[in-house]
Amino acid sequence: MQLSKLTGVLATSAAAGLLLAAAGAAPAVAKDNTLIIGAVFTPESLDGDINLPGTQNTVVQTYEGITRYGRTKNSQGEEILDSAVILPHLAESWSTSPDGKEVTFKLRRGVKGPSGNEMSADDWVWSWNKSFAQKRTGNFIARVSNVTTKAGSVEKIDDYTVKFHLDGPSSILLKALTLYTPSIYDSKITKDHATSDDPFATKWILKNTAGFGAYHMSELKPGEQAIFTANPNYFGDKPYFDRVVYRMVPSGASRLTLLRAGQVHIAENMTSQQLKELKKDPKVKVRFFPGRSVAAVRMNSKIKPFDDVRVRQAFNFATNKKTVIDTVFLGEGEPARSFVATFIDGGLSGAAPYPYNPAKAKALLAEAGYPNGLDVDLNYSDINAWEEPMAIQMQNILKASNIRVTPKRLTGSDMRARSHIKVQDIPFFTYEDGPIVLDSVYAAYLIAHGTGGVSNRTNLNVPRINELIDLARVELDQNKALAMMDELQKIWVEEAPWILTTFRAIGEAYTPKLKGFVSYPDNHERWSDLRFD
Amino acid sequence: MSVSRFLLRRLLLVVPLLVFIAFFTFMLTRLGGQDAAVLISGPNSTAEELDMIRAELGLDQPLLTQFWIYFSNAVQGDLGISWINNRPVLTDLLVRLPVTLELLFWGVGLGALIGIPVGLRAARDHNKRFDQIVRFFSLLGFSIPTYFLGLVMILVFFFYLGWSPPALGRISLMVSPPPSVTYSYLIDGIIAARWDVVQSAFSQLILPVIAMAIVASAPIIKQTRAIAMDVLASEYVRTSEAAGLSRRVIQKIVARNSMTPIITFIGTELTALIGTASVLEFIFAWGGMGQYGLQAIIHGDFAAVQGYVLALALFSVLVFVIIDLVVVLIEPRADLTA
Repeated sequence: MQLSKLTGVLATSAAAGLLLAAAGAAPAVAKDNTLIIGAVFTPESLDGDINLPGTQNTVVQTYEGITRYGRTKNSQGEEILDSAVILPHLAESWSTSPDGKEVTFKLRRGVKGPSGNEMSADDWVWSWNKSFAQKRTGNFIARVSNVTTKAGSVEKIDDYTVKFHLDGPSSILLKALTLYTPSIYDSKITKDHATSDDPFATKWILKNTAGFGAYHMSELKPGEQAIFTANPNYFGDKPYFDRVVYRMVPSGASRLTLLRAGQVHIAENMTSQQLKELKKDPKVKVRFFPGRSVAAVRMNSKIKPFDDVRVRQAFNFATNKKTVIDTVFLGEGEPARSFVATFIDGGLSGAAPYPYNPAKAKALLAEAGYPNGLDVDLNYSDINAWEEPMAIQMQNILKASNIRVTPKRLTGSDMRARSHIKVQDIPFFTYEDGPIVLDSVYAAYLIAHGTGGVSNRTNLNVPRINELIDLARVELDQNKALAMMDELQKIWVEEAPWILTTFRAIGEAYTPKLKGFVSYPDNHERWSDLRFD
Repeated sequence: MSVSRFLLRRLLLVVPLLVFIAFFTFMLTRLGGQDAAVLISGPNSTAEELDMIRAELGLDQPLLTQFWIYFSNAVQGDLGISWINNRPVLTDLLVRLPVTLELLFWGVGLGALIGIPVGLRAARDHNKRFDQIVRFFSLLGFSIPTYFLGLVMILVFFFYLGWSPPALGRISLMVSPPPSVTYSYLIDGIIAARWDVVQSAFSQLILPVIAMAIVASAPIIKQTRAIAMDVLASEYVRTSEAAGLSRRVIQKIVARNSMTPIITFIGTELTALIGTASVLEFIFAWGGMGQYGLQAIIHGDFAAVQGYVLALALFSVLVFVIIDLVVVLIEPRADLTA
């Protein structure tokens, strides 16, 4: 065959191939009772104690809390969680001993997993012992809640009664029990997968589910998709969706296109820019929910120049928070008053501290020995999409106060490692973490405690703050605990370990016919809340 | 040298190469300042939990001891466990490698099918209109970033024209695949005579394969054109022309004499295009080894990164051995001792 003919044939074949594919590629339309989610990852672990990419998003659908938050409506008439109201869920009721060291739960009867097994006290004891043995997330939740972290502290009284033994009273426990972990497992199933080396079947639990929640995992193809099926014996209202396809689409741009084309019903983890673009599309609904964590720029109080509180305060006065919210978060955020969001009981209200005042910032810097301002590196990472634009904005904003910032990028894993409480060697950096329990004492313990706070990444250790947290954790009088939190937050704000920028609003992008979104503190919708209009 | 001796010699060279690569990658990941224990335990772990994990993983041992443990396990086929998904790295690689190979095979194959004849004709019509057009498109193929190309193709062929299926991986959500035999849905579908699977897998392949072919064909065209022009300028071609041989015969002579360097070049291209495959897999949610490696690097998943790099090295060596053998088949005079 001559070359000219061969090239012609090849070009025609390529075009024909595409058309042939087009003929057979009519976009698949999902059945009406199937929810399709464009996810960043397939769940890499289904064990709530081992939180890996995709874990929290899916485990919250399969394991539910012993308690749950009440619900109320916001000013727009939308349903939201009420952090002040705690209701029974897997438990039916509870009572606390006079010294607050024993909490006895009556289990809800008739709670069944997909296998038909009914939840019993044995399941609770086995599940909590698993978390104690693993010493990971569930163990941390237990420790924060003052539950004695050893086997035997969760005790079976009878098939439907369980007693928790605590090291001291806990103001946090009932709210912490809204969490998915320590998960309550169907221990009749999990015990079948236990071995002498692995008595809590952790290897099996990583890749399978055995809960009493609205959904269970029915198929997992790592790197491709996970399929979840509704629990036919679910004790709550029957979920609208029989099946949820959790499809991995790692590229954000691809998830965006798929949502716009109606091929997925929810696109996870859209950036502010993508959400802005999607807002213009009538085929997509974008909704913002109040955030519970501050997209903060943090200052290490043990490293120069941030070991001087005047420098930390100067950086706060030098930051125009409105500009940050408008440019980095496209207007979707609330100015931070402390590390506790205003919608959580005990969060500070009123005017945000450190109003923009470059003159005051310069004066404070001069007082601290930096009359000509200073040069600092600002480390940021790719953990959150907002970090790079934030670093660039900070460079621009702080210039007016003679603070010359050089943004420097770290990998996400490097940032996590270096900001860990055992390392903490970065002077000035962006980070975001917040409480997954809607409780100001829990948030304070996590973020502000000088010795126990695992999210205290700035080396701040103020004895009075520690004392207030330790007192509040065991204070069962809610008003007294809240008063302590008020005092604590004011001290913390004065110490200024963070540049208090904004509580970043959490944007959800989904198909408009999908209804029922309620925001949870873990930022993951519950599939059992959702339905098509 | 006989083919079997050639293979044995190559194999002996591969061993020290792989040992070196294993050592180099191991040290590079460890000296990067990242702490695997923190990555595994999560950002909110306590210092006590961190120490426990460090001891469990042997990270409290000297670096050389750690390498020796890793290497001894690797020799026995244990490449460690990924901290991201808690699965053995070898299992992940074995599942994902065929997926990437499928994309590479069709993409580079199509790229070569288009690139070789186009390059040969461009050489023949040197500086004529066809050559100028080809050079322009070849340059375009070189300059378009793969990420951008993939997204534009999705936008045009899926979103606006509706010609291609959504970029939702290797098979439609509505099709349940047959049991995995080869990890290629296309081949598995043929084996199981499931034509719905074959059609869906074929449809899903089209866009990423065309994107890969565009990226692959640009250098193939350029290289083929340059090689063929050298051959055209050679004395034996000029003598053949002077002797009055037909244009068709001369084309055959040019094609045959260009083939050895072209095949060698495509071999090097194949290994270089793994990077392109990673990006395309990311965009098209392909789930192959490239995507796996990219994520492992981003998340500092040491064991997975090490396994990925070793697999790439092994792949490159195998490709070069196969190319050497193909060259011998085409050109029996080729020197295997080289």
